[in-house]
Amino acid sequence: MNLDRRSFLKTIPAAGLLAGCGKASKIRLALNWKPDPEFGGFYAADFSKHGLDVEILPGGAGTPTVQMIGAGSAEFGIVAADDALVARAQKNDIVALFAVFQTNPMGIMAHASRKLKSIEDVLKGGTLAMQSGLPYARILRKKFAFDRVKVVPSTGGDLTSFLKDENFAQQCFVMDEPLHAKRQGVEVTVFPVSDMGYNPYTTMLAVNGETLRKNPDLAKNMVDAVREGWRTYLDNPASANARMHALNPTVELESFAESAVAQRSLIEANPLGKMTRERWETLAAQLKELGDIPQVPPVEQAFRDL
Amino acid sequence: MRKTVSAAIPFVVVTLLVEGLVRAGWIQAFLVPPPSAVFQTILRDWPELSEAFAKTSAGAILGFLLSSLAGVAIAVFLSSSRRVQDAFYPYAVFFQTVPIIAIAPLLVIWFGYGLRTVVASAFIASIFPVIANTLDGILSTDPALRDLFRLYRASPAATLWKLRFPAALPQILTGLRIAGGLAVIGAIVGEFLGGQGLGSVIDIARTQQRTDKVFAAVLLASVLGLALFGLINIVSRLVLRSWHVSEQS
Repeated sequence: MNLDRRSFLKTIPAAGLLAGCGKASKIRLALNWKPDPEFGGFYAADFSKHGLDVEILPGGAGTPTVQMIGAGSAEFGIVAADDALVARAQKNDIVALFAVFQTNPMGIMAHASRKLKSIEDVLKGGTLAMQSGLPYARILRKKFAFDRVKVVPSTGGDLTSFLKDENFAQQCFVMDEPLHAKRQGVEVTVFPVSDMGYNPYTTMLAVNGETLRKNPDLAKNMVDAVREGWRTYLDNPASANARMHALNPTVELESFAESAVAQRSLIEANPLGKMTRERWETLAAQLKELGDIPQVPPVEQAFRDL
Repeated sequence: MRKTVSAAIPFVVVTLLVEGLVRAGWIQAFLVPPPSAVFQTILRDWPELSEAFAKTSAGAILGFLLSSLAGVAIAVFLSSSRRVQDAFYPYAVFFQTVPIIAIAPLLVIWFGYGLRTVVASAFIASIFPVIANTLDGILSTDPALRDLFRLYRASPAATLWKLRFPAALPQILTGLRIAGGLAVIGAIVGEFLGGQGLGSVIDIARTQQRTDKVFAAVLLASVLGLALFGLINIVSRLVLRSWHVSEQS
């Protein structure tokens, strides 16, 4: 048989189909950051038990998971609820299936020595490093005066400026940076963003609406596997931590263990991953108010509890 | 004028093509924003964008001027002897390979938030091509002319300023053309972490999934790059017109 390159390439999927007879096809799950405890349950999940062959694609700063799901370069992805609603308003049909973080893990941390009582106090002076484009930051700007604090871009988890300057406050994940700062000998006060009334679901498992309609069983199996995975991880994170540490050795195993404990209360729910219409509606109203979406959409289309 | 028209044709064709593809639904708008939306964004957000543009321009131009001066000075120093070159040239390569995005947080710590970090970032990103091209130009002076200078017992300083430096001008200007574009990139990277300017606009628009605004800022950044390029071309014409083949015809 004389195979030119093109017809050879055509035979590859066919061969894959034959080899995959009776077996699951590969499903891609796109993360928006490197392997770490916020994804622990996905690494603890036993996908094969549910007939799934899942490849987890680690991400980095700014991995566009929303666009990846929309464009079909990953079947599933990790998305935050506010991003999902904005994407839906842009006709990118993203549907949330499972919300890992029931409480928004974002916060603002300041040196405990400043004895600040509220987020409003943080804005009374010094420097604040935050992602100014995020909805919570813009809600704060609408609510409070910003003329006495110097706002600078988020350091993306880097603590150098924070440790050096007592009057430096920064955006953080409440289960990460505060622990790192403590390890460096700095006591911190943390103001969770959820306390300011902005509490979208984050680290949600999301899927393309079309995939969901065509293959509802796939989504169901995926959610079952993920829910079990998170139960396993919350009860016993050690083995998944070891696996993630091998993939992301820059972060110490010990700090994975600490974060896994610290994030537990933000994740626990009955059942794990559940979402309510009220929470989605509150969020949609907030985003409408900010002008991120033109109108409050029918939120029941944005998520599916499986 | 004719040149401007020729240059505008590809821009118009590509813009119309993308607009058509997006409107026909071949490309989804959340992947590539339709050009019409980008232009509307530029008009609507002009106060914010123009202020950012001015800040980025200041950072990029200052960084570019510094790297031009320092780059030429370093190249002259390196050209003084083979020994000096062997000792220091490898360190100049450092500037070419330094991943500016990785050291930007350090720049913030050294220079603080604001213009100085942006200038430093633009400087680091743009100095290497100036050094490399200037050195190359100085070292490839016509040997016959060098012999002539030697014959008349010209001092090393006179040889440098009257022969080697002018002979290197075409290469220096090529280095500056490359450096101009790199200075814009360096400034924007510096702004990602140092705050302000188009870099900050891009960073914020990205977190809001505003691809139209990202593209609007990118478009303005390329306008800045083009302006620098045009400026260097004017300088090039002025200094080379009378003698160098690249500016005649």
